[in-house]
Amino acid sequence: MNKLFDLRFVIGSFFFLVGLILFVYSFSEKGRNAVNHYGGLAFLLFGVVMILLTYKSSGKEE
Amino acid sequence: MKLYFVDYSIIALYFLFVIGIGFLLKKKIKTGNDFLMSNRSIPLWITSLAFISANLGAQEVLGMAASGAKYGLYTAHFYWLGAAFAMVFLGIYMMPFYYGSRARSVPEYLKLRFDEKTRTFNALSFAVMTIFSSGISLYALAMLMQTILGWDFNVSIWLAAGIVLIYTYLGGLTSAVYNEVMQFFLIVLGIAPLVIIGMHKAGGLDGILHNVENSKLHLWKGMAHASTNPMGVDAFSLVFGLGFVLAFGYWCTDFLVVQRAMISRSQNEARRTPIIAAIPKIFMPLVVILPGIIILALQNQFTGFELPLNSSGQVDYNMTLPLLLSKLYPSGILGVGVTALIASFMSGMAGNVTAFNTVWTFDIYQAHIKKNGSEKHYLNVGRATTVIGILLSVATAYVARNFNSIMDLLQLVFSFVNAPLFATFFLGMFWKKTSSNGAFWGLISGTAAAAITHGLTTAEGKGGWIANLHEYYSGTSQAFNIAGIAFIACFLVTALVSSFTSRKPDEELRGLVYSLTPKQTDPAKRWYKNPLWLGVAVLILTLIINVVLY
Repeated sequence: MNKLFDLRFVIGSFFFLVGLILFVYSFSEKGRNAVNHYGGLAFLLFGVVMILLTYKSSGKEE
Repeated sequence: MKLYFVDYSIIALYFLFVIGIGFLLKKKIKTGNDFLMSNRSIPLWITSLAFISANLGAQEVLGMAASGAKYGLYTAHFYWLGAAFAMVFLGIYMMPFYYGSRARSVPEYLKLRFDEKTRTFNALSFAVMTIFSSGISLYALAMLMQTILGWDFNVSIWLAAGIVLIYTYLGGLTSAVYNEVMQFFLIVLGIAPLVIIGMHKAGGLDGILHNVENSKLHLWKGMAHASTNPMGVDAFSLVFGLGFVLAFGYWCTDFLVVQRAMISRSQNEARRTPIIAAIPKIFMPLVVILPGIIILALQNQFTGFELPLNSSGQVDYNMTLPLLLSKLYPSGILGVGVTALIASFMSGMAGNVTAFNTVWTFDIYQAHIKKNGSEKHYLNVGRATTVIGILLSVATAYVARNFNSIMDLLQLVFSFVNAPLFATFFLGMFWKKTSSNGAFWGLISGTAAAAITHGLTTAEGKGGWIANLHEYYSGTSQAFNIAGIAFIACFLVTALVSSFTSRKPDEELRGLVYSLTPKQTDPAKRWYKNPLWLGVAVLILTLIINVVLY
């Protein structure tokens, strides 16, 4: 089996999108809540870190 | 509990990603080995997280929160006494035999070590058990969605089964493992905010200490006798029944979890997989048990946190986590929490179906139906088995809905089969005189001993179908003792029969038995790359937790 895709990128993308949805939603009337706001930010941050780890690892391989 | 558009968007996004992983992997899967064994090519961090995630199904996520509310901190024994020690033992002592023998499954190891009949007995019981577990997981998901969200039972069943089918059919074991890792992060990150919000509302640690009865905030206090702790278990039953027999039996011999380590890239990584997995496992009670304790503190301070009653009129502890989600999560993050619950059910189901695939294809189909098929042929068989496995799971879910008592009975019978299994492996790996007939009759005797013990004892109105010779304080205590007796029976009968029957010659046992396998000196220079030192570090951490939370 060839080298598979990097799972960290997939996980990172998922949490980045979920974080983005929550963060944007936290500015709406229905979703205005500290949990959505800071939870969204935390998910965004986690997503970015996972994506960065993907690039850091592929850089090493090159 | 009411979901809004944003919550449904998060659930839909999750479905899109898990199916996407299947499609991304489809082109890489070319042989039966790729599909069923991931070609032993999965990196360490993925196998480690998949190892605990395969166990992070619905029973774990909902069940441990329920036990946390019912038994308090004592529930953590499943982690800090059971799992941690067994996972380290698997990594240091047993994995070299599983991985080094090049067996593709746990039943295949039994064939190499003993004979075909022992393998077939184990493979058949395992195959039926995995389908049963997968179906129960599906049934529980549909019931939960119906109860808390008002979703239609049939829609929930077919939607969840359909999604699991797509990604396991396309990407096989690798797809299931990759999704398990994503599900791990989703479950942990989806429930962790609930713990933080719950702790804050309950008044922090002080609030917990003041509002939860002291008897539920210890690990070992009151364990001298079964009547002096909420679990109804004494220290001996706990340490021997749970800590040794059940935990070692599950973590060291259940192919569902062991398979995640067997697909590692090297033996060193296969050995480190369960040990590294033990580190997050030690901290899992913070996510899965603590919510149960938090709800106790909230019940004492606020209204609206009382658990509903089930159809038998008893407190339904299984609603602990759903109730906290509905009370503490606003829409938005609620979508993440519900997705985490769905992920736990799907993770449990996919893990069972992929393990069923491997055992069916290698240990039943290839062993008894078509021995010398091509790789392509076994790939097709694996894919067909995936479809059949999912359909059987759906059928089991419907049976569970209509005949709940039959499912309880089946679950009990399977626990009898599982209880003595560790004795067979233990003797087989560490005593070269263990014979094939000894192992087979030991397994049969252990299973019979478990059934007879259940028939002669009662707990919480269950058991005693032969005569009532003894009543246990709790069902948990009865289960631990049955396991202990089954282990002893299997151990003694295996040893006895082995003494009178012939065993395999030494040359056939090399690499399969401890005394006939060259001891490995691990060349890893750094301590954390050495399974032994890594295991010692995990055990020290576990012991410290046990002492601090005495």
